[in-house]
Amino acid sequence: MKPILEVSDLTGGYMPNQPVIHNLNFSVKESEIVGLIGLNGAGKSTTIKHILGLMEPMSGSSKILEQTFRDEPEIYRSQFTYIPEIPILYDELTLWEHLELTAMAYGLEEQTFLARVRPLLEEFRMDNKIKWFPNQFSKGMKQKVMILCALLVEPKLYIVDEPFVGLDPLGIQSFLEYMVTFKNSGAGVLMSTHILSTAERYCDRFLILHEGRLVLSGTLEELRERSGLTDATLDEIYLYVARGKVT
Amino acid sequence: MIDVKKLWRKRRNAHLTQTLKYFSLMANSGLIVSLILLIIVGSIYYAKLLKALPQDFPAVLILTVLFSFLLTKSAIRTLLKEGDLVFLLPVESGMKHYFSQSLSSAIASGSFVTLFVFTLTWPIVQVFITDGWKMYVTFAFFLIAAKVFNLYVAWEERRLPYKSYQLNYKIMRFIVNFVYVYLLFNEAYVFLIAMFAIMYVLKNFVFEVFKKMHGYQWEMLLAEEQTLKLKGYRLVNYFTDVPALKQTVHKRPLLNMLGTFSFKKKNMMPALFMKTFTRSGDYFGLYIRLILIGFLFLYLVPPGWWQLAVAVLFFQMLTLQLFTLYTQYKWNVIFNIYPIESNVKVTAFMKWLRGLLLFQGLLYGVFYGVLTGDWLIALLMPAAALVYSLLRLPSLTKKHITLSS
Repeated sequence: MKPILEVSDLTGGYMPNQPVIHNLNFSVKESEIVGLIGLNGAGKSTTIKHILGLMEPMSGSSKILEQTFRDEPEIYRSQFTYIPEIPILYDELTLWEHLELTAMAYGLEEQTFLARVRPLLEEFRMDNKIKWFPNQFSKGMKQKVMILCALLVEPKLYIVDEPFVGLDPLGIQSFLEYMVTFKNSGAGVLMSTHILSTAERYCDRFLILHEGRLVLSGTLEELRERSGLTDATLDEIYLYVARGKVT
Repeated sequence: MIDVKKLWRKRRNAHLTQTLKYFSLMANSGLIVSLILLIIVGSIYYAKLLKALPQDFPAVLILTVLFSFLLTKSAIRTLLKEGDLVFLLPVESGMKHYFSQSLSSAIASGSFVTLFVFTLTWPIVQVFITDGWKMYVTFAFFLIAAKVFNLYVAWEERRLPYKSYQLNYKIMRFIVNFVYVYLLFNEAYVFLIAMFAIMYVLKNFVFEVFKKMHGYQWEMLLAEEQTLKLKGYRLVNYFTDVPALKQTVHKRPLLNMLGTFSFKKKNMMPALFMKTFTRSGDYFGLYIRLILIGFLFLYLVPPGWWQLAVAVLFFQMLTLQLFTLYTQYKWNVIFNIYPIESNVKVTAFMKWLRGLLLFQGLLYGVFYGVLTGDWLIALLMPAAALVYSLLRLPSLTKKHITLSS
């Protein structure tokens, strides 16, 4: 399988000489969902910010389809969409306008936009709220707006930061089904989450970050092997790593 | 442990610092100049109005109503914060000192406002009631005395557990104030002394009783403080940005046309800016206000070539204020990761701003033309907007947006 995202030797942080993430090496390939897990402060968000091109790496690189952000910023960014942990909406725009402007920003044709948007709205039961403004939405609904915007574009890569918090069970199910569908048609997904039971069921591979370092990665089977915990669940392996048993 | 004794001083100092900061921002915004101008114009019309008023103008009655409201409405800034409900509740008994200081400061500012309003109305008093500095001092003294009484009992009134109870006593105070002020402006001093007796009884035998019966109504005090704070912020917000003030969104369906663009990638940014602009409470309101104040200046300043400078001054003010619309997105991740290069975003922003400036210039031109009949200068106003947006706007944008992001 071709890698979509390739992170190699990535080191970065917020202050010079004080890196938060150290020499990260991983990739997300076509048709695969990769779970990024770690404690609060492990460096998940920092890693994601580097991939989004919002932070400049101190060393190493993050490549999407073999290009870095510095090479071709516009092309780099048109390859992925991002679902942030905390929904960020434009207070002045309706739900419909959020979707429309997102489609415009990613250069979708109007026909494509209209064909995709209706089923999405119905699936997430937002079709009767298209004229609503963000101040009328609950946290979960705001999260749905972010999800809808990201799914609408149908990019090669999805970067998802803790999508389940605040989302109702039906919403979670719909979201996961979409992820699987897109995965099966060749997209890659990098998903950061604390809901390990869900991650265990849906992710093909896992990256376990601890104090800014990638301490364990691979399929569940490989994680079991490397940690020496046979028949362990992802939860158990994760707790084992988080307590510093693997270095 | 919280040192309640020092708390008031600390909060008041923080409050004063913030007020001063906002005041200097207001003074810088340029709009304060127009306020001063309004005051000058206002005072001219005030003098004219006084001359035009008929002999039988009911000055006593009108002043009585005005001051009855002013005296009854006794706002007290307690500078309470939301967290106090959790952290100060346990030290309630120690709060006596804090609240008595907040009451003192309310008495100081309330007395000042009373004196200020009385001074404003003094010309009316001079024409219709009485004249002479002794009378000014006497009236001012009695009004301030009433204000102190009102604030003092209004504080005790705030111990009552329900809004409706408080309202009953407020109405009672209004009636007492009304009679008091009416007697004052009729110079019936003997009766006024009798009123003092009534007020004394009220204070000691009605309002003081609440102190024994009820504790502080924390939630109501906090709600009042927040309302007062918001009022202050809203006032300041006319002149400068107040981050603490949650911006309101208005649908304004009539303006939807302005934000409608054809479905193309290059139209995404203009559509976003236009929609934000037409629906935001502050940017759109600011645009309208600046245009109207501009009209006022064009009207007041004698006609001539220099009027073009007036117009350019207003282009500059608009431009500087609207840059915040762009910087507002600086922390929005989604805005930042659109596959649109940042110089394209900035160019789109400048183009959009140019449109607004041209429209502003056009309105000034038409206003000036209709006002003076000098259509040459009128025509030069939109032209000045164009020149401004081509020559000055790019460098300003560079300074305020490109360098700050």
